Amino acid sequence: MKQPGWQSLLSFSILFLACLAGFSSRLFAVIRFESIIHEFDPWFNYRSTHHLTTNGFYEFLNWFDERAWYPLGRIVGGTVYPGLMVTAGLIHYVLNLLHITVHIRDVCVFLAPVFSGLTAISTFLLTRELWNQGAGLLAACFIAIVPGYISRSVAGSFDNEGIAIFALQFTYYLWVKSVKTGSVFWTIGCCLSYFYMVSAWGGYVFIINLIPLHVFVLLLMQRYSRRVYIAYSTFYIVGLVLSMQIPFVGFQPIRTSEHMAAAGVFALLQAYAFLQYLKDRLTRQEFQTLFFLGVSLAAGMVFLTVIYLTYTGLYVRLLTCYAKIHIPIIASVSEHQPTTWVSFFFDLHILVCTFPAGLWFCIKNINDERVFVALYAISAVYFAGVMVRLMLTLTPVVCMLSAVAFSSVFEHYMGDDTKREKPPEKAEEGLGPNIKSIVTMLMLMLLMMFAVHCTWVTSNAYSSPSVVLASYNHDGTRNILDDFREAYYWLRQNTDEHARVMSWWDYGYQIAGMANRTTLVDNNTWNNSHIALVGKAMSSNESAAYQIMRSLDVDYVLIIFGGVIGYSGDDINKFLWMVRIAEGEHPKDIRESDYFTPQGEFRVDKAGSPTLLNCLMYKMSYYRFGEMQVRRGALTPPGFDRTRNAEIGNKDIKFKHLEEAFTSEHWLVRIYKVKKLDNREPLDHKLRSVVPKQKYTSKKVPLMLGGEFALQVWRDSFRFS
Amino acid sequence: NESPLLATCLLLVAALNLEVSANGLVNEEVKRTVDLSTHLAKITAEIVLSNQGHSAVQSFILAVEEDLTPHLAYIGASVKGDEEEDGTLELQQTTIPGQSGHFYKVQLPSSLAAGAQLKAKVEMTFSHVLRPFPTHVTQAERQLVVFQGNHYLYSPYPTRSQTTRVRLASKTVESYTKLGNPSKNDEIIEYGPFRDVAPFSEDTMKIHYENNTPFLTISSITRTIEVSHWGNIAVEETIDLRHTGAVLKGPFSRYDYQRQSDSGISSVKSFKTILPASAQDVYYRDEIGNISTSHLQVLDDSVEVEVRPRFPLFGGWKTHYIIGYNLPSYEYLYTLGDQYALKMRLVDHVYDDQVIDFLTVKIILPEGARNIHVDTPYKIDRMPNQLHYTYLDTFGRPVLVATKNNLVEHHIQDVVVHYNFNKILMLQEPLLVVGAFYILFFTVIIYVRLDFAITKDPAAEVRMKVASITEQVLTLVNKRLGLYRHMDEVVNRYKQSRDTGALNSGRKTLEADHRALTNEISSLQARLKAEGSDLADKVSDVQKLDGQVKELVCRSCQEAERLVAGKVKKEAYIESEKTLTGKRQELVSRIDSLLDAL
Repeated sequence: MKQPGWQSLLSFSILFLACLAGFSSRLFAVIRFESIIHEFDPWFNYRSTHHLTTNGFYEFLNWFDERAWYPLGRIVGGTVYPGLMVTAGLIHYVLNLLHITVHIRDVCVFLAPVFSGLTAISTFLLTRELWNQGAGLLAACFIAIVPGYISRSVAGSFDNEGIAIFALQFTYYLWVKSVKTGSVFWTIGCCLSYFYMVSAWGGYVFIINLIPLHVFVLLLMQRYSRRVYIAYSTFYIVGLVLSMQIPFVGFQPIRTSEHMAAAGVFALLQAYAFLQYLKDRLTRQEFQTLFFLGVSLAAGMVFLTVIYLTYTGLYVRLLTCYAKIHIPIIASVSEHQPTTWVSFFFDLHILVCTFPAGLWFCIKNINDERVFVALYAISAVYFAGVMVRLMLTLTPVVCMLSAVAFSSVFEHYMGDDTKREKPPEKAEEGLGPNIKSIVTMLMLMLLMMFAVHCTWVTSNAYSSPSVVLASYNHDGTRNILDDFREAYYWLRQNTDEHARVMSWWDYGYQIAGMANRTTLVDNNTWNNSHIALVGKAMSSNESAAYQIMRSLDVDYVLIIFGGVIGYSGDDINKFLWMVRIAEGEHPKDIRESDYFTPQGEFRVDKAGSPTLLNCLMYKMSYYRFGEMQVRRGALTPPGFDRTRNAEIGNKDIKFKHLEEAFTSEHWLVRIYKVKKLDNREPLDHKLRSVVPKQKYTSKKVPLMLGGEFALQVWRDSFRFS
Repeated sequence: NESPLLATCLLLVAALNLEVSANGLVNEEVKRTVDLSTHLAKITAEIVLSNQGHSAVQSFILAVEEDLTPHLAYIGASVKGDEEEDGTLELQQTTIPGQSGHFYKVQLPSSLAAGAQLKAKVEMTFSHVLRPFPTHVTQAERQLVVFQGNHYLYSPYPTRSQTTRVRLASKTVESYTKLGNPSKNDEIIEYGPFRDVAPFSEDTMKIHYENNTPFLTISSITRTIEVSHWGNIAVEETIDLRHTGAVLKGPFSRYDYQRQSDSGISSVKSFKTILPASAQDVYYRDEIGNISTSHLQVLDDSVEVEVRPRFPLFGGWKTHYIIGYNLPSYEYLYTLGDQYALKMRLVDHVYDDQVIDFLTVKIILPEGARNIHVDTPYKIDRMPNQLHYTYLDTFGRPVLVATKNNLVEHHIQDVVVHYNFNKILMLQEPLLVVGAFYILFFTVIIYVRLDFAITKDPAAEVRMKVASITEQVLTLVNKRLGLYRHMDEVVNRYKQSRDTGALNSGRKTLEADHRALTNEISSLQARLKAEGSDLADKVSDVQKLDGQVKELVCRSCQEAERLVAGKVKKEAYIESEKTLTGKRQELVSRIDSLLDAL
């Protein structure tokens, strides 16, 4: 049936407003601060997009970044999902082709909000396929403002997830459409959208497992049809070939366990279709049913084992959850922790309560596509429970199912005036108009509270660039603490262009992006032993650290210190992770227990363990801090650390091999320069008399001294002879 | 026997004297001020020039010492008239054979008659002549600099009497040359008076003193002025700033810097940039975003930006930033018909006593500007014009590019750019937008209205056909109902006029029209049936009901006839008429509900 014009106009305007609301509610950070890239990973994405736009696509694919992971470097083109950069680069290219001279930074900053508008549209389409237009519009409105999605897509958060959720929803829409129609056209569309998803985010594995699962469950439910056969066969083959075009994915789809479920279901579907074909031709009915049963059971077993393998594989490889028991580096990231109930409510508010109702509605009126959404919901809930980060994949399906729930309730309770008039005798199933209006009011109240909550969460929790900090005075005026950029820009302007900066890996991308200097480790934590080496340098004493830093050609060391302003995310608070990671690789040199007091406490004051009080990180953080009186006029002694609320234990810190190069205004970032070898006076003086003798007793002196010292003597003898 | 040699020497000197001051000019009295209180050396000399020759003189010559010439940023001369009106004079570079240095010929406004006197004021500004010594200092140390210059006025004319006053930045002086036993008073050293100084005299004056003023240098600045005829001029300056004083040696301690006021005394924390009073939307940023440490103050006659780089600038440190703002074009753009003139500062204030090593000015004129012609206040190097493409440009905006080295505050002067611009071109960009939207909407209309499917969907086609047939049925049925209403009117009229003829003719037309419509509807019904639509049954229901309605209409017609004929009483008629209309109403509403369901 064709809709009347006003209805499509209404749908269009509601959808448009939803997109607009989604776009504008993500602009808090831009309005409060500026158009700036946030956090850590986006800085890398921005840097590579910048590289893409300045050097072209092929140069980007072949990009070997010698400024990261010194001295190893990183093949960026082959180790990224390029979808994000290519999307931003393409938009920038098209705009500039039309002489709309937008800076690439602004394209990057506003990409996520724009794509959230597109996500609203694709969610609308998907929900419309599943339920009806009204539910679709509600779902679009929900996804536009739901905090679970906003957390990853505010302006400035230039990250893969921002565009991947759109690709995910759109792929699902096209999949549902192709299962419904059985048309190759829609399936090819689905494959292209899947290709885009593969190019954008590692979470594409979710699609390549969910779609086979859907097909498998359809087979189990005896819902096999020719449409499913066409859709899945086309999707699997074309999607497989397309996904292998991404360099980072390569041959993984036919090698790794997380892709095996798709292959298994493909084989099963072919077998099933073949049997169906035979069933029409053969007459021996009983034998055939037996055969059919046997084969499908066997295939089912195979599939289940594959599924099992898949999800353990998912754990290890992509969703990195299992790994946290073994690799402390993954556990050290807060977003890899299990989700708490609070954060479910925080991110989804009322939707988390209503979405089981929507799921129930779907299961009650089941059809092919509702099987899909049910599976989607169940798997997404499971993953979201495992890891905070995967809340993101849960959010869209929660929005859709809640929209279904709300839509059905409204349909039932709000009623159409004309419809009510028609059968006036039926007495409305015992529902008086009062109950109707009360229920409607309550539902509207819930929705209103949801909107208020979303705005509040977005504004307060998810709209801080984290590169710029803000504090508020008593009179409401705002102080901007711009220490990070101050220090990074100092590095950019006043150090040698090829200087190597050692810092903890959290700051690697930012140093590369803002300071444009070579880093040793960064947020692409692919080399654990290299990170452990940096951790070892930070947790050793100065001379041992100097050895490591010399061997890594470090020119500057950058640390974050929050003791002056009370910033809790600083390096001392992360220090135990450095120790743990270092211990994992160098158990002989670094032991976590050395950094605790005998009572098992981690303390920076006088009672702290001497190993801690003399390690490099401690010394760099608190160098000259002992003289500083933080709260003026208050009772605190000099050297009082506001973050840890303790007076530091080692106030007399002197450096032999390092010197302070820069400290930002609020001491948040401290940069130390690693002195060159020439400054080691004590050794030089002693050996000056040794040198002439050395010519005659050349090999004995090193033997007597041994180890590291011998090596130095040997080197020095070269210098003076 | 030495006297002849001496005599010849003297003669030679006298001859030389005579030769250079052939036109008879003599510096009667020279008051020289060497201002070394900033990082620039500003040398001013007030000269009383007298013509002791025999003929009137049109010009005189200024000289700059060889050592200082590479650093000369600005030289200017003016004549102090009686009416206190300083006339700035035109300078032209010349050479004097056999003498080192640069020479400038100053054209006098009126010729100087023989024996007459003239007061001239000469201003020279030198950049980068104060060398830090020691070249590296620690954070706690103060900055010492050395200035090397000339005790005397370097001039091609003999000088009768001269004083030199040196103004320093501080009282602390390490050493200074002691020619003629100078007196030192706080920051001022007074040399002279020196009597009868020969032309081209040079004697090195060397002063080593403390100077903690900011040694800021703009190593390069690119000033872009973009003119829009929609009322806006956008100015953007990209600045590379460097501290060219003594280089910081050793660590930078934030603790000392925050706790001790004299720590890092020669470093630069912030400076003030003065923008035009009408400047709006000022931004101050760099590659990684806004520089949040700045403040803006709007004053009556200017806008002051307190530019605070992200970090304090110590010796040898550099920074880079962009500052930009918008200006209303009516203050700077003058027009007469098609002719336009843009009058703007070629270079603007960045900080007091600024030094610019390298300046690039880009002036972006509107797309379609022709006959461009530039009047510059001083000589600058023009580069070939470029094209710039920005919002909605098609063939590009002309960009004038010019560069110049070594500029100081004296170079803040206006440049005038004349060009022609056809006002019709202003409409180009809005029309482009309108056109683009037009094409967009047109394509959407075409796409929605026409069928681009390469396959036929029979079901959809049938649906559309059925829809069109039902539409026709609807209109026909409504028309038929209209006929009945018309008949009612005929009957009513008949009741008054009792004209049987009219009634009969009305009845006949009703019959005829009704038959035609009914036939048409039944043919449509047949077509619906052929399409296999179940709507055909509904239409047949409608037809049946309609037959009853028709009957009722006929009945009421007959009743009316009988009333007129007097066969029934009025009351009875009214009664029967009521039941008839009631029945008809019911039937019609049933037809309507059927039609709604179609």
